Amino acid sequence: MVELWFGILTVMIVFFIVLDGWDFGAGALHYIVAGNQEERRALIAALGPLWSWHEVWLVGTGGVLFVAFPRVLATAFPAYYLALFLVLWTLILRGISLEFRGHIPHSMWRSFWDFVFAVSNTTLAVLFGTAFGNLIRGMPLAPGTPLSLPLFTDFGVRGKVGILDWYTLSAAVFAVVCLSAHGASYLSLKTESEIHRRSARAAKVLWAATAVLLAGVSLETFYVRPELFAGMAARPAAWVMLALTAGGLIAIFTGLHSGSELLTFRGGCALIAGLPGTAAASLFPVMLHSTLGPQYSITAFNGSSDVSSLRTAAYWWPIAFAFALTYFSFIGRHYAGRVKLSTDTQRPY
Amino acid sequence: MTDDALFWHRIHFAFTIVFHYLFPQLTMGVAWFLVGWKWLHLRTGDARYNNAARLWARMFGINFAVGVVTGIPMEFQFGTNWSEFSRYAGGVIGQTLAMEGMFAFLLESAFIGALVWGEKRLGPKSHFIAALGVAVGSWTSGYFILVTNAFMQYPSGHSFAADGSLRLESMSRFLLSPWALVQFCHNQAAALVTGSFAIASVGAFYVLRNAKSEQGRLFLKWGTAGGLLASVLVAFPTGDQQAKLVARHQPPALAAMEGRFDSGAMADITLIGQPDVQNRRLDNPIRVPGMLSFLAFGTFHKDVPGLGAFPENTWPTNIELLYYSFHVMAGLGTLFIALMGLATIQRIRGRLESSETLLWVLMLAFPFPFIANTAGWMTTELGRQPWLIYGLFRTSQGYSKAIGSGEALFTLIGFTGLYFLLGLLYLLLIGREIMHSADENQYAVLAMEKAAW
Repeated sequence: MVELWFGILTVMIVFFIVLDGWDFGAGALHYIVAGNQEERRALIAALGPLWSWHEVWLVGTGGVLFVAFPRVLATAFPAYYLALFLVLWTLILRGISLEFRGHIPHSMWRSFWDFVFAVSNTTLAVLFGTAFGNLIRGMPLAPGTPLSLPLFTDFGVRGKVGILDWYTLSAAVFAVVCLSAHGASYLSLKTESEIHRRSARAAKVLWAATAVLLAGVSLETFYVRPELFAGMAARPAAWVMLALTAGGLIAIFTGLHSGSELLTFRGGCALIAGLPGTAAASLFPVMLHSTLGPQYSITAFNGSSDVSSLRTAAYWWPIAFAFALTYFSFIGRHYAGRVKLSTDTQRPY
Repeated sequence: MTDDALFWHRIHFAFTIVFHYLFPQLTMGVAWFLVGWKWLHLRTGDARYNNAARLWARMFGINFAVGVVTGIPMEFQFGTNWSEFSRYAGGVIGQTLAMEGMFAFLLESAFIGALVWGEKRLGPKSHFIAALGVAVGSWTSGYFILVTNAFMQYPSGHSFAADGSLRLESMSRFLLSPWALVQFCHNQAAALVTGSFAIASVGAFYVLRNAKSEQGRLFLKWGTAGGLLASVLVAFPTGDQQAKLVARHQPPALAAMEGRFDSGAMADITLIGQPDVQNRRLDNPIRVPGMLSFLAFGTFHKDVPGLGAFPENTWPTNIELLYYSFHVMAGLGTLFIALMGLATIQRIRGRLESSETLLWVLMLAFPFPFIANTAGWMTTELGRQPWLIYGLFRTSQGYSKAIGSGEALFTLIGFTGLYFLLGLLYLLLIGREIMHSADENQYAVLAMEKAAW
């Protein structure tokens, strides 16, 4: 049962980061691929109808963490108190910049929200990258004292670590580049003319950079958490995830080479799903790794709810998930194809 | 210092939830009107209904965006500010919070984008489905949140795990607890009051500006009819049933709501008065004899215990505020029935559009359901004190011990600033939408704007 819920939590995180990841990435590229107000409007229209649906996967992730692993939630959330509020506030700015921009047809109003939109999305990519870095590197968990992380200590990855160090910063850089590449793939699929051309070019550069950075971050991870690679070698679930990651990489570059934007986009989704998937499968059951001693780590087993609560939740979750995919197919069918400013507008007249 | 931290954590949650709930109550209240208009448009092809739906769908876009972005911090605060509570009760209340996200919020958010952005892309039928999805999603969402709250008011369906924390024993007793069902009906009726008043208010504004405004007349008709129905439902049977549950399961809360310190049969209901907690009495009261006994238990002879009958450590922690909140809610609720009743009578007589005073009152009445809803929730939550989960877990046990008052205050100030800005922007944009549609040449104006940018 605990294994199942660990898997479900991973699925939730993967859905959030793959879906909202392209919003973050496209937002980070806002000024780079969209040169004038009309192009910026097209970029927003490509994200507008779906961003809230994407963001809700974060709510779902929080809910699953709450019901299945309340001790993990109760330990990690206060420990990252200020950082989490930074995420929440930035999410607020990102959401309203998308929704409010179109409501007043004045160039100053729109320029202002364009700026908020680009900055908040880039910041979110940095914050979530740092968060993943922290999860892999671990936190200074010890019995007795409630955990609270400083912003940084000595920038080292052992012992009394802070939120930022060389490893979590590299994870942040990787996340910005990788999600931007993902966003560029999405935009090249959804837009037309000039913005499409620029997105396709950005995707080429950014995916190449992602591949280089991925090699670097993997080497760093080998130094920071060697047991991740031991787990990877030993567990069939991790092999599947690793195959997904590798398949994604191959699809990305095949797609870029052959000019198939759909293949590149799907490859990007597979890569971004595969990376956290591989990490989760390799590190199971450790959820919050302690940098002070592995015996203090919080695992899926000592951090989970009572098994009766887990079992009840296992009845309804698959139903809810199936429903969610149904809405997605309904919406996805209607939103297939490139956006056109004549149809995709809040003003249907 | 620890009491200090508890205080700021409570204010933190109270402020963010009160601000957040201003938006979902309007979404839930207007959603079914929108479904009705889209349906009538689909059936009759009458463009008036579609235009009505378009205006409110555009306002939905603004309202929903603010609702979503202020709602996400609510869920995360359970972890950041109330981690001991999450650790204790996650196995139970995590169920409904996760179900809310998975069943309801994903449904609502999948369709809101299609509703706001997609009329042309979807066509009339799918667009109607989108409106229906938003309505069902937002009400389901409300249900799961209310089950969570109902569990905190009246725990049901739980048992204890080996380490003393809560676990879920019976999903059906948890999901269908009598408190949850009654609270859901009461709360949803109250949301419909907010929605109806907002629609009637816009209608009154349009008719005052231009007596021939067709859209204004439509909004007045639907808003006052819905408003009367919903206002009556809030009081009876839902409010009545809610009060009976409080009387049975939270007697100290009922005593505090009524400012009642002494016990006895033939208990009076207080219409006006100020509680003086120190001297344990109610100053300058105006009372109706026997009514409290009757409303709480259905008979005049039943004893309604006063606060004096309970140990002080089970008294609600802020009796004055609880008393005032309850009286503001109940008083406004009564006035709503009177106002909407009068408006409906005048409408049936065909005189509503020409009664200028009444239109002014209807136009300016829209903030009051927001006040009444907020006061109602303050009654619920203050009445639950000093417990976080009634009878099981005290509020003072639940907050994050690692987060001091300074940190809580810091993020509270951050939210205050950000939400102030959000509120201003919201009013600006909603006001613009209403002004635009008030113009009889709205579509020409919008077409000009479109060409201009």
